[in-house]
Amino acid sequence: MIGLTSKQIAAEIEAFSARLTQGSRTLSRLGDIESGVSPRDAIYQEDKLTLYRYQPRVENPHPVPLLIVYALVNRPYMMDLQEDRSMIRGLLNAGLDVYLIDWGYPDASDRTLTLADYIYRYMDRCVDILSERHGVDTINLLGVCQGGALSLCFAALYPEKIRNLVTMVTPVDFNTPDNILSHLIRYIDVDLLVDTFGNLPGQMLNFAFLSLSPFRLAGQKYVDLTDVFDDIQALKNFLRMEKWIFDSPDQAGEAFRQFAKDFFQQNKLIKGEVVIGDQRVDLHEVAMPVLNVYATQDHLVPPAASKALADCCGSQDYSEFSFQGGHIGIYVSARAQREVPPAIAKWLLAR
Amino acid sequence: MTEQTSTSGPSTFDAGLALKQARAYLAFGEQIRQFTDRMSETINDQTDKGEALHPYFAEIKAAITRSAENPNINPELAQFWLLIAETWCETAASLGMGTEAISDELRQSEAWRSYQSTQSEYLSLLEGAARDALDRMEQRLNELANTGKTITSLRELYNLWVDCNEETYGQMLRKPTYAAINGQLINSLLRCYQRQDTSS
Repeated sequence: MIGLTSKQIAAEIEAFSARLTQGSRTLSRLGDIESGVSPRDAIYQEDKLTLYRYQPRVENPHPVPLLIVYALVNRPYMMDLQEDRSMIRGLLNAGLDVYLIDWGYPDASDRTLTLADYIYRYMDRCVDILSERHGVDTINLLGVCQGGALSLCFAALYPEKIRNLVTMVTPVDFNTPDNILSHLIRYIDVDLLVDTFGNLPGQMLNFAFLSLSPFRLAGQKYVDLTDVFDDIQALKNFLRMEKWIFDSPDQAGEAFRQFAKDFFQQNKLIKGEVVIGDQRVDLHEVAMPVLNVYATQDHLVPPAASKALADCCGSQDYSEFSFQGGHIGIYVSARAQREVPPAIAKWLLAR
Repeated sequence: MTEQTSTSGPSTFDAGLALKQARAYLAFGEQIRQFTDRMSETINDQTDKGEALHPYFAEIKAAITRSAENPNINPELAQFWLLIAETWCETAASLGMGTEAISDELRQSEAWRSYQSTQSEYLSLLEGAARDALDRMEQRLNELANTGKTITSLRELYNLWVDCNEETYGQMLRKPTYAAINGQLINSLLRCYQRQDTSS
């Protein structure tokens, strides 16, 4: 039971207060927090989009470029957070030539952007630029989370342009019983939301994610922070992650409307009923080799939501990679650095 | 053109949020300290500790119910279980729908009344989850007592409290009732926006 005395508690409270005081001093002399550590060059820009090439880390990188398509939600520097937590660094070290689409921060002028704009215009342009730049007909595509769903659409609509497809923590079946986001969005009037705000405000996304685990994410985490107040490196790591968590771009209104209604509420992707522009997305057209990477403890994209791809894509060369961890751990945990980039690279280099 | 690593100062960190939670933890400690003081007065070696603990948990649960009706009655206690409701209000305020910012016309409208009413339903759900968490915590402490284990630090007790709240909150979150009320909460707030826009 509770073996605590009033005196012990008072001492613990006093020690905690002292750490808080020390922490505010440490914070004030912490200096800049770097996020995004691998050198990269912007090779193309259009509207808010920037296409980056990461500087290769081997003399002769693989001739087929790898394009990473991150989600529209949150910022892609999660893939390259810090020296010892960088999925991109791992892919570069394995000899891949890595590019990434940074969607930027949509503003009011982007409210009419649709998924068709993102796929037919932005993604297609980036893919063509890379094909031309490298003198190849097809490139490798790695879609992350929502970016994976967009990549599946792209690969189904333009199978001739994609050599290999890697999907990472990507929802395909949005109606699995354990899909908490689909459960929560079910009763939200998406039309009212988009018609009211134009773009979906990033603050609402922050609230949605915090509300999944408020006692840990908005409470305990900050209490635990006092334990690392005397460790500059650990404190910087915390702040870097904290910055990423709250760095939520607004979502272009029309694209959000379609994604929320067609993917989340009506689960049309797996049913083959998503229509982008005037073309239906048939996942059976995804006939290129596919590596589906999912996380066993993913609370946002449950494994079943990702693994559904096995039964609905047209690839004869479909593989899965199961990572023992969660939706964030798959990017930043020490184990992820050891396991995920080498597995992706090995799979790609063999094809 | 090679891009340099992007940087940001520690000022981007919401120190206010962290400090608020640290203060909440201190308040938690103070409540537990008072609680252990009173426990030590009433418990002796022959007392069944599980039974002795029960009235205190019942008392906290009653206090939660009172703080649901008026968070100012026991703000230290209210700030624990109202955490997410407060975050929701801050989100609404950051979007221009704080209670101070709304027009009198909106305040008197059906849209605002509907939003307030949904907020009450939302709070009731949170209150239920918070009370369930206390039941769970009491049960866990009794289980610990039966195995002869004891909690020996305030942090350990706080972590147990967090675990219990996450469990009961998570169960609530997955119920259709919660999804419906959460949806209504957002939809009713949006109708307030539309009303405010129309009248401005």
